[in-house]
Amino acid sequence: MTAQANTSIARRAGAIIMAPVALLARAFDPPLRMLQKFGGTNVMAAFFLAPNMLIFGVFVLFPLAVNIAYSMTGGNALFLTNREFVGLDQYERLFDCGNYLDRQTCREDLFWTAVWNTSSFVVLQVSLMVGVALVTALVLNRDLKARSFWRAVFFFPVLLSPVVVGLIWRWILQRQGLLNFGLYELGFEPVNWLVERNWAFAAAVGVSVWAHVGFYALILLAGLQAIPKELYEAAEMDGTKPGRVFWRITLPLLMPNLLVVLVLTLIRAVQIFDEVYVLTGGGPGTSTLFLTQYIYEVGFASHLRNPGLASAASILMGLVLIVLTLFQLGIVRRNDRRGGK
Amino acid sequence: MSRITLTGVSRSFGQVQVLHDIDLDIRDGELVVFVGPSGCGKSTLLRLIAGLDRPTKGTIAINDEDVTRVAAADRGLAMVFQSYALYPHMSVRQNLAFGLENARMPRAEIDQRIAEAARMLEIAPYLDRRPGQLSGGQRQRVAIGRAIVRNPTAFLLDEPLSNLDAELRISTRAELAALHERLSATMIYVTHDQTEAMTLADRIVVLRAGRIEQVGTPLELYNRPANLFVAGFIGAPRMNFLPAEIGGTKDGRTRLDLEGAGSLEVEAVAASPGDEVTLGLRPHQLRLVDGGEGMAAEVSLVEALGSETVVHTRMEGGESLLAVLSGQHQVEAGETVRFSLDSTDLHLFDSDGVRLQPAAN
Ligand SMILES: Nc1ncnc2c1ncn2[C@@H]1O[C@H](COP(=O)(O)OP(=O)(O)O)[C@@H](O)[C@H]1O
Ligand SMILES: [Mg+2]
Repeated sequence: MTAQANTSIARRAGAIIMAPVALLARAFDPPLRMLQKFGGTNVMAAFFLAPNMLIFGVFVLFPLAVNIAYSMTGGNALFLTNREFVGLDQYERLFDCGNYLDRQTCREDLFWTAVWNTSSFVVLQVSLMVGVALVTALVLNRDLKARSFWRAVFFFPVLLSPVVVGLIWRWILQRQGLLNFGLYELGFEPVNWLVERNWAFAAAVGVSVWAHVGFYALILLAGLQAIPKELYEAAEMDGTKPGRVFWRITLPLLMPNLLVVLVLTLIRAVQIFDEVYVLTGGGPGTSTLFLTQYIYEVGFASHLRNPGLASAASILMGLVLIVLTLFQLGIVRRNDRRGGK
Repeated sequence: MSRITLTGVSRSFGQVQVLHDIDLDIRDGELVVFVGPSGCGKSTLLRLIAGLDRPTKGTIAINDEDVTRVAAADRGLAMVFQSYALYPHMSVRQNLAFGLENARMPRAEIDQRIAEAARMLEIAPYLDRRPGQLSGGQRQRVAIGRAIVRNPTAFLLDEPLSNLDAELRISTRAELAALHERLSATMIYVTHDQTEAMTLADRIVVLRAGRIEQVGTPLELYNRPANLFVAGFIGAPRMNFLPAEIGGTKDGRTRLDLEGAGSLEVEAVAASPGDEVTLGLRPHQLRLVDGGEGMAAEVSLVEALGSETVVHTRMEGGESLLAVLSGQHQVEAGETVRFSLDSTDLHLFDSDGVRLQPAAN
């Protein structure tokens, strides 16, 4: 009785809210009909796609083209028209090394340090991220008490701005931060987390995992919930041990989601910047200097300022990302084909 | 060898009690069908027997051994799920082998059992395909095959035919019956379809809202339904129900007054004059009569099927009455017809819906 009343109230409220929308839609109806009548469906399609294409063009395609142009110019001037054309000199400069096995011998050794740091970061962070996301999803998929609460707890950091994430953790990890205070109270030696090379790198990995793991756990959780319960019951009837259920049923059926998560984390790990920049500023020394920070500093920071070089480096990074993205699109397409059958 | 005994089995989900004190004895080699409307607790009961769920009260025994707390895998039962629950990423062969591998059975025996089941179910050509590449009927066979290879003491089947089209359902039903003959294993079969229950069962258990309404052979249920619910549920088309009043009993006959349809005499029943009762009439029991005799009713719809004619009518009191007449009849909507009925196979139920017993004398 009350449930019925509630739905009817909800329906009426919905109708009231939708009324202006419907009115607006009706106002647009005649001109759109005219357009379709005289222009045909292709013109209609173009009409609806235009706003998006415009935004995409202005904020993605145009900057990309400008960036390519910048990467082929030299000098300190800011405006493209004031810059001289140097061809592929900037790329040559990036790859100019005495000995390719020793990055110290490279002309832009900082670039290669950033490449090396980013590669190590990607390997560590991606494996940790996928592992933690998987474990989190498996735990959250169980019938635990207050399940929604725990899901929210893990998802919450995803909502924070990277700068806030960096600040929170700097506050915890700095020399006189929360963690050291706790350690001191418990009678341990304080550690200089953000000044010690390896600890700082570990902090960069750990904090970036903490900040994003909820998102990937959610993708995996959706995948786990899409596995029919009956499969587990059939396995139970078959007397399957838990480990074998995981390896032979859960993991293979979760593989499409795992691959998507893997590629997404790869793409984002390559681009790592903001939270680590706020946390460590790339230090100590250059031990947490990553590619995006290198590009940013070469492009905009006063002492190194070389927009052409930064553009060339960012184009190279873009190529890596394009390869990863194509890989991801391939996976998604293969999943779609599987699902459609 | 498998005899399954349920004693006082109840199951609640939170505040909601879904099964109430179920007592049931399933004999070895028997094909028992649980039937009842959707939501009455059939699947819940089957899952309790399977060991996928635990009763809140009561015990379950297999061959007189209490298995209430025994894990599903150790009960020696196999289940065929409504959705088949085949592992989608494994081939048919791997699906069949999976449970046997868990039990660390030697490869040679696994292969032999799979070959045997594949031959029996005619799925040999698809052994290397994935479930997604099979038709519904083929998948259904694989699901049964997965149960067969385990050589269980009893099979549990939860609406195994409900995902098949009508034609396939009928042929698979016959095959299941043959399979039961051949394996002579105990089978518990869940369905909401009374026709399936009637055609397959050695014994039928009729469930309603978590309680057993009646247990018996298909014909026992058809001929002597214990209450209004079973009477209305078993038999197609559905039994007609008419309100009536007990007139009086004399010489071993009880007079029954039908509202606006005269009266008739039936074998004496244990009821007092003036009692309100319900008369149950199967649509096949009605015959058309000429002249002023019998119950009058106005025809609302005629379905001429050739071999029989289904006549929907409405009586003076407003009760609808359905008749299935064998052969072809010239009857039209709007016309008033008269039915006679065979008073030997009538069903009488008291005001609580319980079947009236013959008067003891
Ligand atoms: N896990 C569960 N939690 C809560 N209620 C359940 C659960 N399983 C079944 N029920 C309820 O128990 C009743 C019987 O369900 P079920 O045994 O599936 O019915 P049937 O198989 O006869 O259609 C339904 O009302 C259903 O909502
Ligand atoms: Mg069910």
